[in-house]
Amino acid sequence: MKAPRLHPSSGGAAYWALGWLALVAAVGLLAPWLPLPYSATAPDLANIAAPPTWHGPAPHYAGTDPLGRDVLAGLVAGSRQLLLLSLPATALATALGALSGGAAGYWGNHGLRLPGWAGLLGLAAAWWGLRPPLLVGLGVALPLAVLLVRYWRRGWAVPLDGLVLGASTLLGTVPRLLLVLAFAAGPPLGTGWLLVLLVLLAWPDMARLVRTQMRQVRTLPYVEAARAAGLPTGRVWWHHALPAASQPLRAFAPLTLAALIGLESTLAFLGIGYSEATVSWGQLLGELRQAPGAWWLVAGPGTLLLATLVALQSLARRSEV
Amino acid sequence: MLGWLLTRLVGVVLAAWLLASAVFLLGQLRPSFAEQQALARTDEPAAAFSSPGQVAASQQALRQRLVLDQPAFYVTRAAGPPVRWQWHGLHNQYHHWLRGVLRGQWGRSLRDDQPVLEKLAPALAYTLPLMSLALALSTALALGLGAYLASGPLATPGRVALRLVLTGLQALPLFVLALLLLLLLANPEMLDILPAADLGNYDADPSSGRWLAAYFIRLALPLLSLVLAALPELTLPLAAALRHELASPYAVAARAKGVPARRLVWHHALPNAVLPLLVTLTGLLPALVAGAVVVEVLFALPGMGRLLAEAAATQDYPVLIAGVLLTAGVRLLALVAADLLHYWLDPRLRATLA
Repeated sequence: MKAPRLHPSSGGAAYWALGWLALVAAVGLLAPWLPLPYSATAPDLANIAAPPTWHGPAPHYAGTDPLGRDVLAGLVAGSRQLLLLSLPATALATALGALSGGAAGYWGNHGLRLPGWAGLLGLAAAWWGLRPPLLVGLGVALPLAVLLVRYWRRGWAVPLDGLVLGASTLLGTVPRLLLVLAFAAGPPLGTGWLLVLLVLLAWPDMARLVRTQMRQVRTLPYVEAARAAGLPTGRVWWHHALPAASQPLRAFAPLTLAALIGLESTLAFLGIGYSEATVSWGQLLGELRQAPGAWWLVAGPGTLLLATLVALQSLARRSEV
Repeated sequence: MLGWLLTRLVGVVLAAWLLASAVFLLGQLRPSFAEQQALARTDEPAAAFSSPGQVAASQQALRQRLVLDQPAFYVTRAAGPPVRWQWHGLHNQYHHWLRGVLRGQWGRSLRDDQPVLEKLAPALAYTLPLMSLALALSTALALGLGAYLASGPLATPGRVALRLVLTGLQALPLFVLALLLLLLLANPEMLDILPAADLGNYDADPSSGRWLAAYFIRLALPLLSLVLAALPELTLPLAAALRHELASPYAVAARAKGVPARRLVWHHALPNAVLPLLVTLTGLLPALVAGAVVVEVLFALPGMGRLLAEAAATQDYPVLIAGVLLTAGVRLLALVAADLLHYWLDPRLRATLA
């Protein structure tokens, strides 16, 4: 299986897309050191919702928002927000999705058996973690221990497939936006919790994709040959099957990143889960509601958002080939 | 097929229960200012006239009515060494809530103490027409545009432009799209042809034509945003499927027999190409609920989505949970509808079932 690559013949669009994304990433990385006349959070109360000006001692090149904050600095802060939130969330979700989906596709519901002692270890850990009342604990743990000893030889099958499909069904029932609304209700979440939430919502789709691919890959002759050659199962899985099964993610990861950026901007636009102090593109766009007619609040962030999302989509299309 | 459908329905119901429970229990973990608001309201009128003891008593009464005085779950863990577990039996908030939901009592809003169902009903009455119109319009448009895209060479200027527009729309989040429409079509400095917000012109008689016209003009922008956002997802796969069908031997044979192009697309190819569209439609219905949140907040429409966004901003968990359950219900309906349509459109399924 040849790895799909960005090829010169695949057209210039992919290079434009990569260039644009690199630019956004560079701006986000260098944000603290860029020579901007204003900071993104400090209000300039003399200029509230002012249109862009290019003359004067310290002009607001892209105007100010209804709170008097510089839009240009907000744009830079917004690209930093992408680097801090959406990109790590996508990376984590991709890793988690590839590992869990790959395991589910390779071992299915019965393939992976934990040795008998793992059950006892789990029981002991559960006891230590929960520290149940003695009588109740003994009442539950003793029958379990008896069962564990009975299954010592056969080991414990982990229903990986069921777990992945169940998680996917569970989170697919209600649209992501509503789930985030429900879970992020109330006082603003920190970036860390928002990251956890986004990863939680994004990984099942990826896991499902890798799982489907893995079910095909594990029956391919080269994987069977590796098994027949006596390689350890873990090595066959990690070295030979997983890289091939993760191929669809090359196209899907940029799409997920685009979806998460869209979701995160929508949240910021609605003002839920975000504090006022965090400046992002979505938040700037949302401020149009306080200053209708302030086109400079839409032009800058809207163009950047659109360009980034289109770049990600064209990247996904190119790596699909 | 019946068994398969049943499994999926059970899955959705189970998922809805788990999600709603998770939202409920997470709500118990986080300090809730809606609760504080509800408690603070009790002493507003009373504070001037009553003693602190009376205020405390009325707050206690409210706590009892909202079941806030009971533990959150069947078991709770007292933190701190030594860790202790406590069994509370059936007198806990979760059990109370679950029993209420099963009996059709969805609780009261923490914000203004109205029953949740009474808040939902008028909001739904506003949102449902919007959603069904958006669904019908986007499906019809997708069929038309898909047929247009598939029924000729790809390189004509019209098709290239349409594809470009559709891929652009696909990348755009709904709220940016709606903002752009707002800025272009309802802005005194650009084209001021449509009203930006619901101005509440309910004075006319609801049965008159003028009321209906005003209603549609008011819905025009939100509707346009929803339709444009849903269109690429529906059209592009349909066009691809149609193109695939039109290249197949039966289409070639039909063409050789002299079937007109229009009849070939609509009568021969479309029934085969439309099946994947049904799967997309299953996901589209819940997505429209999420879209309603964005659109109704932006255009200030008093619908379901705005209710949910406000509930999320003020941590009004009973309303939020009702929203989650309702959306899961919509998904359930969409699944059933898609399967029934599939059954109706695909004669092979009928043969296997009979």
